[in-house]
Amino acid sequence: MKINGVLIDDTFAEAFPMKATRIIITAMTLKWAYRAANSLTGFASSVIACGCEAAIERDLKPEETPDGRPGIAVIIFAMSRAQLQEQVEKRVGQSVMTTATSACFAGTYSDTHIPLGKGLRYFGDGYQISKVFNGIRYWRVPVMHGEFLCEETTGVVPAIGGGNFIVMAKTSRHGLAACEQAIKAIDKVHGAVTTFPGGVVGSGSKVGSKYSFLMASTNEAFCPTLKGQVKNSKLTDEVGSVLEIVIDGLSEAAIKEAMHVGISAVCKTGPKKGIYRISAGNYGGKLGPHHFHLREIMK
Amino acid sequence: MTDLTFSMKQRPETEIDLSPLIPEKLDGMNLDRIRRIRLRTRHKTVAAGDLFEISGRDKTTVRFRRCKGPVSNIGLGMQSGIIDITGHAGDYLGRGMRGGKIKLTGTAGDWVASGMAGGRIDISGDVGNFLGAAGPEERFGMLNGLITVWGSAGDRAGDRMRRGQILIYKDAGDFTGSRMVAGTILVLGKTGMHTGYRMKRGTIILRTGQPYISPGFRSCGLLKMEFLRLLFRQSAKMGRRFAFFKEFGPEVYRYAGDLSCEGKGEIFILQNARL
Repeated sequence: MKINGVLIDDTFAEAFPMKATRIIITAMTLKWAYRAANSLTGFASSVIACGCEAAIERDLKPEETPDGRPGIAVIIFAMSRAQLQEQVEKRVGQSVMTTATSACFAGTYSDTHIPLGKGLRYFGDGYQISKVFNGIRYWRVPVMHGEFLCEETTGVVPAIGGGNFIVMAKTSRHGLAACEQAIKAIDKVHGAVTTFPGGVVGSGSKVGSKYSFLMASTNEAFCPTLKGQVKNSKLTDEVGSVLEIVIDGLSEAAIKEAMHVGISAVCKTGPKKGIYRISAGNYGGKLGPHHFHLREIMK
Repeated sequence: MTDLTFSMKQRPETEIDLSPLIPEKLDGMNLDRIRRIRLRTRHKTVAAGDLFEISGRDKTTVRFRRCKGPVSNIGLGMQSGIIDITGHAGDYLGRGMRGGKIKLTGTAGDWVASGMAGGRIDISGDVGNFLGAAGPEERFGMLNGLITVWGSAGDRAGDRMRRGQILIYKDAGDFTGSRMVAGTILVLGKTGMHTGYRMKRGTIILRTGQPYISPGFRSCGLLKMEFLRLLFRQSAKMGRRFAFFKEFGPEVYRYAGDLSCEGKGEIFILQNARL
């Protein structure tokens, strides 16, 4: 299968189940909401070492937020509810509560929930105030900028991590230019995020390593510098740079849509601008139950 | 299926207890059985059929029409369904109710929503004293739920209130929110003397300047309270009538008190809030 001259490999992206929550961060201005969101989603590219994966989903207009101020929706993913709870409490406490004028609300509701302001309220040292509106409990924690307003809990929903596609390009410059277009397109998909810096992975990994202490190591089959050195290289001669876009989502449909718009955007660039092939990372079906077949998605 | 409707034939002479006429108690009864329900007055009992013309079959909504006189305890302990009243609902309306909704087009007497633990009461007119307050020898007043009074309330609204919200569109009397333990009271008109007297915690929000703030309260100055935006936005979701303000700051004067008790309560005087 070729799209605009770009070969789509007959393969699939392999993804695995995760737990996720969406939170809404508001502030006096969108700039300050961004600062809180950027801080919260910092060092949250991969669960391998960060404890969670998190990214900004989208900007929210004042009419979309609970308190009528500009906001940001952030999605946080982890391997378990307990891990998610730990990360959310730490990150909201250290990144959102410390941002001037910020407030934090749940962005998903479900039967399963984890604390949001429930534990953070103790920062108020006895001066915190609880308010229940429409059956939802909020905490008002007095802080130096005024009050930090935080919903008590946020919902936890099943999610999927590790949707991906791999872009094979002539050079890094060509690859990045195409990937940037893909990220722009993926950013418009609700319920799907790219958690790596700029949405692009420069050092995609495989599971395991020759070293017993490593959970993941470089994916040598896609390393251009090892083309002639490793037997299992999947690269052709003209490929000089490989970039991966990893997508986490709240549903299979969201990931499929994100992969579709992302691959379409990359393919628009075409071989004349140095984009040759699209592939995907999988581990023969051993890693996870969710398989996203590239050619089915791009039909 | 039409709603079960009780139309009052004549004004009762003495106080009459209408507590048996709530949706969950009426469920499963036919009209004959309902007409035979005995309602207690001060000295005797009367059959519901003697006091009301009764019609309709759907018991999830119970309607009282032309309600007047010394009736009491409408919606006592109600847990589900809707009670729709036209006229005067007397004392103890929605006392101890746990769920469902009471809609009153008219006025009510004292002790409305006393001990209310859930649900919603919407009153178009005025109510008497002790709205959402603790009954005699009770530790707490309203425990949860939402009361909206589109008229005025008497004295001691929210006395010993423990949780929930009271919205009073017009005026409130003396001792509003006295001995409050928690919860929120919003008064868009004027209030009488001693607002928040001996309140431990909780929030009283007033629109107009207060001529008198009890000496137990200390000013925290003019502040922007973002949570009020949240409150008013959440209220507005309940319907257009609840979108109280065309413009709102959220600048408020905050008074903390009553310092003679725990002092963790607060009175807000809204600034730049235009109805």
